[in-house]
Amino acid sequence: MALLEVDNLGTHFFTREGVLRAVDGISFSVERGQTLGIVGESGCGKSVTALSIMGLIPQPPAKIVSGTVMFDGTDLVQLPEKELEDLRGREIAMIFQDPMTCLNPTLTIGTQITETIRRHYDVSKNDARKKAIELLEEVQIPRAAERLDDYPHRFSGGMRQRVMIAIALSCDPKLLIADEPTTALDVTVQAAVLDLLDDLRQRHDMAMIIITHDMGVVAEAADDILVMYAGQIVEQASVLDLFDHPEHPYTEALLGALPQIEGEGIRDGRLTAIPGRPPDLISPPPACRFAPRCPYANANDTCTSVMPELREVRAGHWVRSAHPACERAGAAITAGAPA
Amino acid sequence: MAANPPATRTPLVGDDRATDDGAAGAPLRQASLWRDAWSRYVRNRAAVAAGVTFVLLVAFCLLWPIVSPYDPNHVDFALKSQPPSLEHPFGTDNFGRDMMTRTAVGGRVSMLIGFGATLAILLIGVAYGSISGFVGGRLDNALMRVLDTLYGLPGLPFAIIILAIFGTASKWTLMVALSVASWFTAARIVRGQIITLKENDYVRAAKAVGARWYRVLGRHLLPNTLGVLIIAIFLELPGVILGEAFLSFIGLGISPPNASWGQMAQEGRTVYRTSPHIIAVPSLAIATLILSANFIADGLRDALDPRTRET
Repeated sequence: MALLEVDNLGTHFFTREGVLRAVDGISFSVERGQTLGIVGESGCGKSVTALSIMGLIPQPPAKIVSGTVMFDGTDLVQLPEKELEDLRGREIAMIFQDPMTCLNPTLTIGTQITETIRRHYDVSKNDARKKAIELLEEVQIPRAAERLDDYPHRFSGGMRQRVMIAIALSCDPKLLIADEPTTALDVTVQAAVLDLLDDLRQRHDMAMIIITHDMGVVAEAADDILVMYAGQIVEQASVLDLFDHPEHPYTEALLGALPQIEGEGIRDGRLTAIPGRPPDLISPPPACRFAPRCPYANANDTCTSVMPELREVRAGHWVRSAHPACERAGAAITAGAPA
Repeated sequence: MAANPPATRTPLVGDDRATDDGAAGAPLRQASLWRDAWSRYVRNRAAVAAGVTFVLLVAFCLLWPIVSPYDPNHVDFALKSQPPSLEHPFGTDNFGRDMMTRTAVGGRVSMLIGFGATLAILLIGVAYGSISGFVGGRLDNALMRVLDTLYGLPGLPFAIIILAIFGTASKWTLMVALSVASWFTAARIVRGQIITLKENDYVRAAKAVGARWYRVLGRHLLPNTLGVLIIAIFLELPGVILGEAFLSFIGLGISPPNASWGQMAQEGRTVYRTSPHIIAVPSLAIATLILSANFIADGLRDALDPRTRET
């Protein structure tokens, strides 16, 4: 059995304007020790998915309306808040997008790390401190013992993200959810932090979910990729298969919008933008949610009348589209943007 | 995992650790939040002057009665209503009592009531406001509507009613009377702060590692309201001290022969034409305390508000 099995998860926001279906029936699983990447543009439901797993969605207005989140054999959706609190940090940890704001400015980082350890384990202050120093060394912060008593404002962005990672690792979680862990960082620092994350994942034998809008990040770190659009999964495949043979028009367009500076099939000239905007999730398109922006949708087919199911076009490659690349007439088009 | 030594790796170009002071540098000045605030406060000259005045006034009230040669309640009609002189720097009152000693003793009472009531206001305000803001939703709505209703109560008449219910006016009943109808603003300030603070990422991050609600409130939210609370202390204090003076002045506060500034001013009221110093001395003391508290609050607000930080 997989470590995490999400089945038909639906999280809706009940707003004054109507019901916003931020996450609309998604299913996936994460095996022990594996990394799953979730990609999609802003507002597609990536972060809400993560927060739903953690039980941290703001209630109200949000509510999990359907589905189960089986973690290690327990359904987190049904778990009472008290037990969920015990689980958070100890079994599932999360790191957030902006390391500049995720540390409390009034507490030293030592306090913030040891508090997490002492929240979940019955250890003395001294032992927690020793463990905190080890953790800081593990995330490669120089002079860890001295820096333990520093306040967050004395750390740079990349260093703070390392501290956040140390806090997340402090109780040896089985699953680490990284919500845009490198978005707020410089490109060079991004690479270092991603390296570190992958290194630590292997050493601690954790499973990891990396949420990002950056295809480059998942290409580097993930085993499997899940592409989300408008609250739904539109494509799911192993990382190589997805990058080599994207099937969904949306994934193709995402890859077409990605700059390439080296390697085969290098595109020169302008990057391709995806026309239009993501749909309003209060009243989404009736059938395929990508249809209004899709170059292959036309009035004669089912795109605007029937919601396509997520189907397996080949082993391990799932896609939700009436026009996956392999079924199109001009099937030669791969990563390139449709003309 | 503790057994694994950190992997050695060559630093990348532009490694984030290089931008920090890292292994290379001389030790940087340890700048804590409070030290930062202090350095900004001392740059504000009016606030420093107010702070010094405030400390001197408090020290005078605390220490002078100990070293003073006069008994503050010793009546001597031969020395009645003398203007300031070398023996009696603030003069004497209607009963020939030394005004300087009485001002100090009265100041103790006024300040005790002032600080006591301010503390009570803060305790009630913090409890009410933090629960309201932290829980949110319907409870918040209900608590705030109650507060709106209470806001309609005029403070001083309410205090008078409380005193009437108690029947006697002592330091303690005055504290209760002055705090019961004055904590509404403090509660609103704290509620607003908590509501803003609880949207912070570090609160979510704390929840993500399993922090319980009291931990989130006590560790991550309330300490961050401290700056605002300190300012609130110095903003509430003048009002409370003025309230005490007012109540004593109209005869509902501290009763003779015990002194408080308001009570002393009340005694001077009848003879303000012939011996103006009797009303002037306690009035000046009240004014000095209130002004300095206001300037301190002003300085603290600039010092503790991160938005005014220029460095």
